[in-house]
Amino acid sequence: MFSLALKNLLFYKSRSITTFFLTFMSAFFFIVYVAMMDGSHNSMLQNALKVYTGAIEIYKKGYRDLGGNEYLLDTVESIEKKLESIRGIEEFTSRYETYALLSHKEFSSAAMVAGIHPDKESHMSQLKEALKEGVYLQDEAKNSMYIGIDLAEKLHVSVGDELSFIGSTSDNSFAADLFIVCGIFQTGAYEFDSSSAFVSRKYFDELTSARNKASYITIKVKNLADVDVIADNIHKVLLDDTLEVVTWKILMKSMVEAMQVDSIFGYISMSLFFVVIFFVIMIFSYINVSSRIREFGVLRCIGLSRLDIGKILFYEIFILSSAAILLATPLGAYVAYYFSLHPIVIEGMSETYKEYGIVSDQLPFNFDMLTIMWNVGLIYILNFLSILYPLHFINSFKPIEASKHV
Amino acid sequence: MYKLILSLALKNAFLRLSRTILVISMIGVSMSMMISLEGLYDGMTQNMVEKSKRSDSGEISIYNKNYRITESLNDTIKNADQIGEVLSKRSDIQAVSLRLKAQGLLATARKSAFCSAIGIDLQEEEQFGKFSEFLQEGTLKLDKRYILLGSELAKTLKVRIGSKLIFSTQDKSKEINSIAFRVGGIVQTNNISLDKSAVYVQKEQLRTFLGLDKQEAMQIAIRSNSSELLTHLQAEYKNLEVKSFLQLYPMMQQMQEIMVIFNSITFLIVMSVVFIGIMGVMYVSVLDRVREFGIMQSIGMSYSLIRTQIFIESLSVALLGYVFGAVLALLMLGYLHVDGLDLSEFADGLESFGYSAVLYATVKAEYFVTTFFAIVGASLLSVLLPLRKIKKMSVIEATKVEI
Repeated sequence: MFSLALKNLLFYKSRSITTFFLTFMSAFFFIVYVAMMDGSHNSMLQNALKVYTGAIEIYKKGYRDLGGNEYLLDTVESIEKKLESIRGIEEFTSRYETYALLSHKEFSSAAMVAGIHPDKESHMSQLKEALKEGVYLQDEAKNSMYIGIDLAEKLHVSVGDELSFIGSTSDNSFAADLFIVCGIFQTGAYEFDSSSAFVSRKYFDELTSARNKASYITIKVKNLADVDVIADNIHKVLLDDTLEVVTWKILMKSMVEAMQVDSIFGYISMSLFFVVIFFVIMIFSYINVSSRIREFGVLRCIGLSRLDIGKILFYEIFILSSAAILLATPLGAYVAYYFSLHPIVIEGMSETYKEYGIVSDQLPFNFDMLTIMWNVGLIYILNFLSILYPLHFINSFKPIEASKHV
Repeated sequence: MYKLILSLALKNAFLRLSRTILVISMIGVSMSMMISLEGLYDGMTQNMVEKSKRSDSGEISIYNKNYRITESLNDTIKNADQIGEVLSKRSDIQAVSLRLKAQGLLATARKSAFCSAIGIDLQEEEQFGKFSEFLQEGTLKLDKRYILLGSELAKTLKVRIGSKLIFSTQDKSKEINSIAFRVGGIVQTNNISLDKSAVYVQKEQLRTFLGLDKQEAMQIAIRSNSSELLTHLQAEYKNLEVKSFLQLYPMMQQMQEIMVIFNSITFLIVMSVVFIGIMGVMYVSVLDRVREFGIMQSIGMSYSLIRTQIFIESLSVALLGYVFGAVLALLMLGYLHVDGLDLSEFADGLESFGYSAVLYATVKAEYFVTTFFAIVGASLLSVLLPLRKIKKMSVIEATKVEI
């Protein structure tokens, strides 16, 4: 059967070439398109996680919904001690965030001022690498403030300038102090750069009475794929119903949903091409089968069953699909691999899309063999489906009738 | 003779009925999917553009030359009242809105966020961009106690209708002032920067709070259909910054351009594959009948008549496919235009990118016209190769061909 199918393919060249070409194109473009789409989504996520949000964050229940000082974590040291024993955690640190009014000369702006552990934070987020001017915060720094570039612009300050801080302490009393700008950072995330300022916790805790307290504890994990298991373990170890352990999937829900929608539209667009290609392959198979009715009739007359005819058609499409896919897969995989190492750079993209939190000009592809395998599997399935109607058509003839067909 | 050719062509086009039905289905299904996607993507972008115009810039906006950089209360349009009055009398301007803006801190007892207080006149805004349609919750009113809040900002602050808020900012004399409000309503404009940060306050109240003069405003937004208005206003108000919508929202222009490129590439690929499909069928159909064409030529029919017959055959199948596709596309577009594609499950994600949770398609005649010409073109081109084959064959040779 196999050699008969092979001979048929070589005999009916135009059908073979068309099917091969269309299968090759659809497999190649599907692999590249999905790699590009997944890659851009991963990159958006990783950039967002790098900037400030942790893979996992621990809150007191109520802080995220209601906020306020009564929902601050107030046993930070004991929680941190417990976290040390959990596998999969790379680093963690606590943050105390408050909103305050910052002023310089006649310029004022509201900002999120966060007390951080500068040294630990440098391993957690991109804050240190984002330094644009001046120096990064030191653990022992007293009244030094590290501020975003767009906030510095709003306040007309540069490194060494003095800023007045008016805010509240963790016990709801009034807090005011003077800070010196030690450094200016630029992450590329406009909202973050225009509204954030950081102070060392050692000093800020005194000012805001926040020792052993935190808005939340942020955690960096070794492998992002293990985030759910680690979150579950944290929950078990903490054994505290007043706490909630939240992963990035919930912390960045809107971004996750936006990416899901983008993927849905991506697949809808691809499905249009698949439908057209499916029809064309089916038409060519049908034309091919309809011109071989007499041949199939003779084969049936000499003893081949309907199943055998099905096998011939199956082998034909299998050979054509396999040949096209065997060529398209390494090529598509190479393109995905190459651009995963050398991302495409679209200059100015982050500047245009900064409102949407896009912080990088780079568009890396995602190279994942499992994804490539299911992409290829789908093309195979579509190709096999395309021979069902031609098979039904040829099997609708009686052997004698088919052998006399003109 | 042409009547005979027409009847022969039509009979032959439907001689192999299942084959013809397959081609018609291919054209119809791919065309309807392509048009529906085009309409949906266009609808998404247009909706975003339209809402941005209605909620903020209009077709043209005028600012003080420095305002968009400094956002300072000193960089206002000093005689905005006067300019507004002149503009609203122009016949090529449909609506004008004068707005005040101030950045500040908005706080509840538990949470704080940055905001942009926008002083508006509700009547003016209604005329400008049907502002009432943006109301998501609560009542559309602005007075000394009640304000309207952007939907994303309301989520950030976790406030509801009636919640108390304190707005703090610097006034024109550089003093830090605060004012208390209650949330009267929550608005969703789908303009992300507004939804994330806007607090709509009664214009006169914000003016008094900021210590601005009666004639001052930060923005004069204009609605107009005139394509020449921008140039006129730029010449007229040389000391001010007069910008068009696309200059103010360059990202929208980029999005529109990307959408046009994407739709064109999709169109080209789909039509190329459709062309391959039609060509395959026509090629086989002609080859099946080489002897028939040979006999026709030997009894005196010219090559040009045979060519006409094949063109009509291909065209009639393509046109039927087109009609089938157009009906399907109209049904799908009609549904997407009226009921929309409900993606409420992903509402947060869509809204964070400035899209509505329900996406509506636009219906444009040009989708059908372009596709019509493309399908007619593809069907005519697809028979050139088979025709070449017939032309090359001698009549005697053709009559002897065994099928």
